[in-house]
Order: sequence, then C-alpha cells, then structure tokens
Amino acid sequence: MATLAAIGLPAAILVRLFAAATALALARRPRACRGAALVGSMLASLLTVTTAVEVVASGHSVEGALFRHAASGTVFDYAVTPLSAWFLMVLEVIALPVALYSVAYFSHSLAASRTAVVGVAFNVLLASVEVVFVSSDVIAFLSAWEVMTLATTALVATEHQERASRRAAYLYLVMSHVGTGCLVTGFLVLAGHAGSLSFPVLLSGRVVSGPLRDGLFVLFFVGFGVKAGIIPVHVWLPEAHPAAPSSVSALMSAVLITAGIYGLYRVCAFGLGIPDQNWALAFMFAGMLSGILGVLYALTQTDLKRLLAYSTIENSGIIVLGLGAAMMAMSLERPALATAAVAASLTHVLNHAVFKGLLFLAAGSVVMATGTRQIELFGGLLKRMPWTGLFFLIGALAISGLPLLNGFPSEWLTFQALLLGFTATPGLVRLNFPLAGALLALTSALAAACFVRAFGIGFLALPRSSSASRAHESPLLMLVPQAFLAMLCVALGLLPGVTLSALDTVVVSLPGLQTTTSMADGALGMASGVGRFDYVVPGGFGLAVLGALLFVAAVTARRATAPRQVPTWACGGEVTARTEYTATAFSKPLLMIFKAVYRPRREVDALAEVSPYFPQEVRYRAEVEPTFERYIYAPLVRAVIRGAGAMRVLQAGSLHTYLAYVLVLAVVLLVWLGGTR
Amino acid sequence: MSAEAPFTIAAALLQAGGILAAAPLLKTVIKKMKARLQNRRGPPLLQGYYDLAKLLRKESVRSETASWVYAAGPRVYFAAVVAASTLVPVVVAAAPLEQTGGVLLLVGTLALGRFALATAALDTGSPFGGMGASRDMTIAALAEPALMLGLFASALAAGTMNLGVLVRGLVQQGPSWHPSDLLAFAGLFIIVIAETGRIPVDNPATHLELTMIHEAMVLEYAGPDLALVEWASAVKELVYLSLLVNLFMPIGIAMKLEPVALLVGLAAWAGKVSLLAVAVTLVESTNAKLRLFRVPELMAVSLGLAFLALAIRFL
Repeated sequence: MATLAAIGLPAAILVRLFAAATALALARRPRACRGAALVGSMLASLLTVTTAVEVVASGHSVEGALFRHAASGTVFDYAVTPLSAWFLMVLEVIALPVALYSVAYFSHSLAASRTAVVGVAFNVLLASVEVVFVSSDVIAFLSAWEVMTLATTALVATEHQERASRRAAYLYLVMSHVGTGCLVTGFLVLAGHAGSLSFPVLLSGRVVSGPLRDGLFVLFFVGFGVKAGIIPVHVWLPEAHPAAPSSVSALMSAVLITAGIYGLYRVCAFGLGIPDQNWALAFMFAGMLSGILGVLYALTQTDLKRLLAYSTIENSGIIVLGLGAAMMAMSLERPALATAAVAASLTHVLNHAVFKGLLFLAAGSVVMATGTRQIELFGGLLKRMPWTGLFFLIGALAISGLPLLNGFPSEWLTFQALLLGFTATPGLVRLNFPLAGALLALTSALAAACFVRAFGIGFLALPRSSSASRAHESPLLMLVPQAFLAMLCVALGLLPGVTLSALDTVVVSLPGLQTTTSMADGALGMASGVGRFDYVVPGGFGLAVLGALLFVAAVTARRATAPRQVPTWACGGEVTARTEYTATAFSKPLLMIFKAVYRPRREVDALAEVSPYFPQEVRYRAEVEPTFERYIYAPLVRAVIRGAGAMRVLQAGSLHTYLAYVLVLAVVLLVWLGGTR
Repeated sequence: MSAEAPFTIAAALLQAGGILAAAPLLKTVIKKMKARLQNRRGPPLLQGYYDLAKLLRKESVRSETASWVYAAGPRVYFAAVVAASTLVPVVVAAAPLEQTGGVLLLVGTLALGRFALATAALDTGSPFGGMGASRDMTIAALAEPALMLGLFASALAAGTMNLGVLVRGLVQQGPSWHPSDLLAFAGLFIIVIAETGRIPVDNPATHLELTMIHEAMVLEYAGPDLALVEWASAVKELVYLSLLVNLFMPIGIAMKLEPVALLVGLAAWAGKVSLLAVAVTLVESTNAKLRLFRVPELMAVSLGLAFLALAIRFL
C-alpha cells in the first residue's frame, strides 16, 4: 500500500494520458472509445485516492518529480501535502461516480462523433486538476492551470452547434484568461523577489511585504476567485456549467471550483504570510455577497442546471466566508479560532462536492429523460423516475443544510466560526460576524425555498408537458453513482466527527493552525469552542426523530384499509397541469420582496380584436435584470472594443510600417539597456 | 452511550409526551380567549383533543395525483417538531436531549419539518398547495436571520449555544436586567408570531385564498394526515413559547429533580406560557392581518431589534 501510494499520483497521470491516447485511437468506435476513456479514468482515480488517503491518514507528504529532463536541467517536482491530498480526495470522490455515470450517459446523449473529444478532454481535465493540486513549481502549476482551462472549454463547447454553447465557452475562456493573467503576473512578481520558481520558497510568506504584498493579494484573489466563481467575477459560471454534458457539469460544479478554492488557500491565506485584517474582511464580504446573491439568482431560475450553477456560487461563497473568518483569526493570532474556521471551510468543500455532484447527476438523468432543462416543463417525475427523484430529494435536503444530512455539519461549523470570531474580535469590526451569521441564516433558508421549488415543481404532482409524461427511469449504471453519492450525503451527515478527524492532519499541516481532535466528538459528534461552547450529535438526535416517526406509525396505523384515492379538489374545476402552481409563481413573492436586487421586468401584451376585455391572445415575458453583466461587464466590453479600435491605427497592414516598429523598438531597447549598464 | 442513557430516554419521552399532551390545550385556550374578547363564548377547553380524536378516527383520503411524498410530509413534519421539543428546557433547567445539540440543531430541525410539509403541499397539483408552500417558505426565509440573530444575542451573552446550559447559567447568574434582553425578546416575539402563523402575519382562522398561508399549504389534507399537521403545529407553538419564556424569564424553573421543585417548575411554566398566550391573543385580537408584502417590514423590525440587542450588549 505504501509503495503504491508513493507512485500513485504519477501513475494516475500516466494512466489518464494513456486513456486519452487510446480514446483518440478508438475514435471510430464510440463504444470502445467510451470504455477506454472512462474505465481508464476510474482506474486513475483509484490510484490517486490511495495516495491521497495515505497522506491524509499519515500526515506525511509524498514528494517526487513529475517530469525530469536531464539535458536542460528541467525538473518539475510535485508534493502531495495533506492540503493537496484533501482536495485530491474530494476530486476523486466525485470523479469516480461521474466516470461510471458517464459510461451510460454518454452513450445515450452524446453524438458518437464527439465521444473521442469528450473522452480525451475528460481525462486531460482531470489530469490537469490533479497536477494543479500537487505541483510545487510555478511553471508546472501555471501550465496545468492553462490546460485545465482549455480542456474545460472543449467540454463546455461539446454542443458547439448551438450558439449558446459557443458563447458560454468563449465567455469562459475570456474570464479564465483574465484570471490566469492575474496569476501569471502575481507569480512572476513573487518569483522575481524570491529568486526561485519553487512553491516552498515562493509561498513561505517571507518574500514580499508592505503595499506590494497587498497588491499581490488582490491579483491572486481575482485570479483564483474567477475559478472559484466568486461574485463579481462569476459571470462565466452560470453560462458554462449548464452548457457542458451533465456529468461534466457535475465535475465542474463540484470540483473545478475547488481548484480556485485551493489557490485561495495555498496562496492568499497561507502563502503570503500572516493575512492582513483587511484581506480577511474582503474574503468575508465576497463570501457573503456570493452566498446571498448566488442563492437569490438560483431562486428565480427555471433552467434546472442554471439553478444548480447559481447555487454553486452560493456554496463557494460559504466556503470563502469560512476561510475569511479563519484569516481574521490568523491576523488576530487566535490559532484555535482559525482552526475552527478552516475546518468549517474545508468540510464544506467536501460536503458541497458530494451533494452538488449528486444533484447534477440527478439533473442529468432528468434532462436525458425529458429532453429539456426547463423546470416548468417537468412535473410528476417522481412517479416516472422514482430512484432519480429520491436521490434528487436527498441532495435537495442536504444542500438546504437540514440536520441528518451532510449540509448541516458544515453550515454548523461555519456558524461556530462566525460566533467564536465575534467573541474573539475586538472593536467595531466584530459586528461583521453576527451580520455574516444572519446573512448565512438567510442564505440557507433561501436555499431551502429554492430546493423545495426545484424538487416540488419538478418532481411532484402532474406532468407539465408531454415529454415529462413520457419520461422513464435511467439505466442502472446511471443510478448506482447517484446512490453512492446519496449514501455519502447521509453518512457524512450522521458521522461529522469522522470528517473532522480526517481533517486533523490537513489542518495541522497549515502554518499557525492547531489540531482538530478537540472538535471531533467521537465519530458521531462535533464540539466547538472553549468549555464546549456548542456541540452537536446529529445521529443521536436522529434516533429521537426516528422514535417520533415510530410513534406516528403507531397512532395512524390502526386502520388496515388503504387510503381512499380521490381527485384533487379544484373549486369545481379539474386539476390539470395548467392549474398547477409554476416555478415562476413559487418564487414570485421573493422576487417582489428582493426587487432591489432583481429589478424584475415584465411585459404583458393582450391582443384583442373586439374588446380589450376579451383578449384573443396574451403574451407574457418576464426578466430579471442581469445586473453584473449589464452594468459592469457590458461597459467593460465596450471600452475594450473602443480601445482595440484605437489600436487599429498602429496596425496599418503594411509590412514596411511593421519593420519600422521593430527597428524603433530595437533602438529604444538598446539605448535603454546601454543607459542601465 | 453511557449509564445515563436510559434516564435520558425516559426524560425525553416524558417531555415529548407532556408537550404533545399539553399542546392542543394551548391552541384551544388561545381560541377561547380570543372568543371572549369578541363577546363569544368560544369552544370548550377540551375541544382541541376532541378534534384530534375525531380526525384520527377518520378515513385517510388522499389525492390520486400525489406520490409518497404527500404522505411523508405530515409525518416528517410531526417527527421533526416532536423531536425538536426535546431540545428545549421546559419544566426543568435542562433539555432531555441537550447532549445532542443546541440552538442550531433546534432551528435546523424545525426547518426540516417545514421543508417536508412545503414539499408535500406541492404534490396534489392544487394551486392552493403551491401558493401556501411558496408563501410559507418566503416568510420562513425572512424570519430565519432574525430568529438566529435573536438567539445569538442570548447565546453570546451566556457564552454557550446549548439551551440547557444557557438556561442553567441564566438561573445561576440571576436576572441581568440588561436592556438588550428586552430588545432581543421583542425581536423573537415577532418571529414566534410569524413562525406559528398568527395575525398579523397569517390568519389561522381563515380559508380565503388571498390571505391564508399555512392553511393553504395543508388544505388538501384530511383525516389522520390532517390530525398530524394540526397536532404538530400546536406542539411547535408550545415549543416556541416555552423557549421564549425560559430564555428571558427563567423564574421558577426546577434546578433539581425533586418533587417540590418539579411541581413549582411545572406551575411556573404553565403560568408563564399562559401569560405569553394572553399576549399572543391580544396581538391577534387587536391587529389586522398584514398584506403579504408588508410582512418583510415586520421581519426587518425584528432583525433590527436583534441586531441592536447584540450591539448594545457588546459595544
């Protein structure tokens, strides 16, 4: 085991590259191509998991070289530190079921001609994310980062015959490169000061100081924030995640955003020295904003996959909020508090990946069965797809942060971090914590409303379209991965102590943090703060809920006859799909209450021939204003286009002019360099 | 599991059973007081029990459109609310299941019950269910931050999030007479009114689609299913009122498990809850129901009060 763990990661990457090559070679035979790509991916995931589990269990990093070229002296080292191993574990826990799901999913909903491209991109994406998590060299890191972006773009553009997909891919590419530009600049400045390209030196926290350090923090925050989907640099996410094939969306929402989170951890929080208080506030503010706006936008979506994508922004916000609380504690030199906050944030990384992966896979099954992503066209799916419906319900309960499932422990821990942060912080700044707590409460309550809507409108009552009434259950191969993730939702919800104990080595490995052993209260419970400020044992309480359910069964089960089935009463009319409450109507009260955020627009045209009281046709259009797109990005795009237009003067198209430019530049450089000598 | 386990289980069963038994009475007492204020005689005090017994004996009638979720809704709602009742200190300054969690678990469990009921309401295809579920989730979402902040104000002052520990600490310290308590109490009282579906937020006595919230959500239920919903709602109201009185007026609560202390505790609890019930009745009788889109303002007031309570306590 230990030897396998030592070579697990390079071996996994080799397997992935081999799988990608095989998939390419078998491009003409979609079935074999799918098999090669996805089975290879599963094998690689298993190899990586052995390494990651070994590192998390022992707390000792596994190090080695990924690439060595003796002649040029190029060596790219990798190090699976406990933090890397945690993110790797989260990645593979999702990548495994996603690959299995994709075997059946791709065969049903992916054109045969595109199997090879998707299979290759799938493996290249995962390999690059793995390299991002482990590389300890700037060049390797940035190269893998770029490959990750390109592979994702290819997957987003899978349905490239559709304009929306092409647009989403382009937007993703542009936004990612803005982020990558920030990262490259930041790393180059850092490397220039450190005189080295290796992470242990660069990120020792002693390289830069003063305003330069603040500037670098901003660059890295923006650079990694783009990938993490933090508002306001989130605009690509709700376009790109839904455009990809559903199993890839699961991968993107569950783990691709964690690449950004990993960067925020590695560089912003723990790589630039002890964080400044203002950085912590910036993180907390960005986290709160992403959380509340993410869920508010999710609430009004009628496209199921877009809804899930916005909810990813929300959860990314909660993760960043926890990290912000940790940075605040670090800046105040409160290691116990920082430990609690980091534990909260890292637990949510895992829990969000599990339930969001589950929800996207279930959504993929639904989209495959109905041929649409519109919640308004679903309805009655629970009777036609009982298992998918059950799994979606479990995911919905988990993402709403309800007890007994895995959303609850991480939300509980985040609340602890905020409350303890309040008690530890001096001055007016402390009021940020209860405010953040109130916003977190609002966020999770709105998430519950959002998922009551998604599940209730989508899966219950009568089918709202003929395609929903013809829907049928997905094949077993697509249900097994969902069952696995659903069981994980329950297990992580009932055994939060296990997650916290596993996190111990990860947290201890971070500079300035303490052990989490006091936070894990056995396998079943969690405790926080000095003198057991708060503690919870969800499983023990679950027994009470179970007892109450047994009591209900005893009270109501006296009658042996089956319940009488009658039509729903509809004021004398007949209940049809058209009398059902719609998803738009469901979120209407919240739309009206949060008018200031949504700025909704609605147009109703009644076309009448005889009298306005007897319209022949009514047209209705409603829209929520895309605030960030319209007021931040649209002016920016216009400015860039204007700037580019101005630059066209330089680009006259004449070779002589270009040669003159080169000459002028060479002279200027020579003069300048001669002057500095 | 320790040697205390049988004792804990017995205590939990006793408290849950007691609250289950007392809850219908509370509902009827409020109805009766309201009737007296309107110069009516009102129902007999045991009417709540008669209603439940009648509904439980009736045949189960369900919509043919609905799935298993429809039947599961009231059951999960009931189980969650009853389980939550064991997290709150009532007669004794300890909650039977305080070892399993505190404020956050309590709020989370009640949210679980609400999720179950609101989801089930969407299952019949009737627009009433959807309307009720939508409104109920909306108001709950707006109430949640104020509820949390109000509870945080008390919890942070006491240095614990566990309700049992918190109440014991309050009794030992004696009354603090800090003005923040008054603000937090006022904030939470508004939330309790909203969460229990009372005027001015919701009208428990109406079946008019323009005004109803909770009743619209459970409109399709009949027989034993309806009995569970009604019973659980009554339990929820009693749990909220008990929480409120013991957080802010832990007078007379039993600190020891002795017969005299327990009797005093029981009498004090009944007296304090009755007092609060009078307040709820007065609010309900002297106010008109607010328009749905005015409710957010009420919630904002509550949030503001809770925030002020925190601010003046800690700054």
